[in-house]
Amino acid sequence: MKQGTGLRIYAIAYLIFLYLPVALLPIFAFNDGTVIAFPLQGFTTKWFVELLSIDALHGAVRNSLFVAITTAILSTIFGIFAARASSRYRFPLKGGILGLIMVPLVLPEIIVGVALLVMVVSLMGLSLSLWTVVLGHTLICTPFAVAILSASFNGLDRSLEEAAIDLGETAMGAFFKVTLPLVTPGIVSALLISFTISLDEFIIAFFLTGSEPTLPVYLWGQLRFPQRIPVVMALGTILVILSLVLLTVAEFFRRRGVRRTGAKDTGGFL
Amino acid sequence: MKDPLIVLDQVQKYYDDYHALRGISCEIGKGEFFSLLGPSGCGKTTLLRTIAGFEDVSSGRVLIGGRDMADVPANLRPTNMVFQSYAIFPHLDVAGNVGFGLRKRSDLSAEQKKAKVIEALEMVGLAGYGKRPAHALSGGQRQRVALARALVLEPEVLLLDEPLSALDKKMREQMQTELRRLQRHVGITFILVTHDQEEALIMSDRIAVMFEGEIAQLAAPQTLYRRPASRKVAEFIGVMNFLSATSTVSGDSVALDIAGLGKVTLSTEQCPGGAPSGAAVAGLRPETLSVVIDDATATPSHSVTGKVVEVVYYGDMTYYEVALDGAQKPVTISMKNLPGRRVLEIGDTAKVAWDPSALVIFAA
Repeated sequence: MKQGTGLRIYAIAYLIFLYLPVALLPIFAFNDGTVIAFPLQGFTTKWFVELLSIDALHGAVRNSLFVAITTAILSTIFGIFAARASSRYRFPLKGGILGLIMVPLVLPEIIVGVALLVMVVSLMGLSLSLWTVVLGHTLICTPFAVAILSASFNGLDRSLEEAAIDLGETAMGAFFKVTLPLVTPGIVSALLISFTISLDEFIIAFFLTGSEPTLPVYLWGQLRFPQRIPVVMALGTILVILSLVLLTVAEFFRRRGVRRTGAKDTGGFL
Repeated sequence: MKDPLIVLDQVQKYYDDYHALRGISCEIGKGEFFSLLGPSGCGKTTLLRTIAGFEDVSSGRVLIGGRDMADVPANLRPTNMVFQSYAIFPHLDVAGNVGFGLRKRSDLSAEQKKAKVIEALEMVGLAGYGKRPAHALSGGQRQRVALARALVLEPEVLLLDEPLSALDKKMREQMQTELRRLQRHVGITFILVTHDQEEALIMSDRIAVMFEGEIAQLAAPQTLYRRPASRKVAEFIGVMNFLSATSTVSGDSVALDIAGLGKVTLSTEQCPGGAPSGAAVAGLRPETLSVVIDDATATPSHSVTGKVVEVVYYGDMTYYEVALDGAQKPVTISMKNLPGRRVLEIGDTAKVAWDPSALVIFAA
């Protein structure tokens, strides 16, 4: 047997296991039948057409876009603050504070969801809305933004800002004219990743949505109606493609950033 | 000094408990090439950053052009800096880097700014490189861009933080003479931080040797080399042989009995750190000693005999280690390899000629 054949078989099996379920989405999305089973019934695009006619779905898409965009912007702004502070300054309890910022990355989402629900509704007496979903999503997206932006900020030579100040800029001017352009690829990358995570997120959104569901919550509701499942498959296909595109764009910007600052690529998400 | 450009007055700097600068006082003249020389951690970079305005002084004053810099932030000081890493802005091309500091100058038109950038690039030998992106520059080119970027603003003082340490040996030697020429051409004050004593000697008008946050000696290169104020300075700059001695001071003269060389009487001027009484150390540079080889006519006024214990041949020079009769340690002697001059071998007996006027006497 040729050397490495076993490992190659393992790698192929691994990829099949990982992506077969995802590959089933487009297969059934184009299948002309309401039952999700083989053999296939023939090719159709009617499920995609039907997507256009469901008003509640459009509302859910709008809700999700609002939540995802707001979350992306908030997480990235918080991420910039935290990443710059951690890369530039020493302060008491720095390790602990940064650790706490990163904890939601590993905290079970169901815990975050329940805890936020209790706090927002019982303790603060607020009613659930899209903003409460934004709150929960910002909490879990900020660590990702911090991680991406820390890499950008740490890759910068400290003396770049000093050089700008030396050449007559104020500290603020140096940040906007030198630091910000150099971390822009990181910012774009953080925005896209946060957007994607928020768009896909279900558990926290499920706990914190009021009368306006986000897309994943809406889809969950639709699974109760068997005749709607092919439509859900069609929507899933669109979401998978969208996620892949966004992730690719994010990685493109991250790599461009690495090249522009002349730093060594230490690996990213792709 | 008449009318100094920079006055440092009892400058102290603490980082928490660490005393980085311990009362630095000196004056730096207009148009002077001034070097801060010392081992790493001696405070030379801290002092430079204090002048630039990147570090506050804990106490004392920094004056530039007679003005106290205490409340003047770095961006408003008449200083510009060439950073050790060069700090070339990676998102800008060469012209963008050089023109960075000019952007805020409202008194100049866009054409004037462009002309200044071109002129600055010509000055550092990078004419035509304006459109080159920053990441496509070699180390030497980055350094020239950093120089042009600072000089285009016509500062009163150019601060250079180990600007040559990242270059290879050949490039470094070329840049040393080039920097010196550039400084004479623009005529502004250069303050160079370096740990390379040779570099400081080659380039500077005056050198401040720093150890542990203090200036150990401030002098012109020749004085520093010939009359180092302490054994520590002598050891840091070049190579020096140290021979133990006993000294008796009487008025302006010092009577010495030097191990290996014998008795000699010198003027107290040869004791730059003050004439010691009793135990002393006599210092001699390797080139002030010579080995008399196959020369029957030579009658040196002062000579001793010794045994060659090591020979290192460099092509243009030969370095001998010679054990002098009566000295504990062999002395190092450098000899030019003139045509026809033989190179001695290990074990040969050597006649060593020396010059009393080249001696420097330190306290033991």
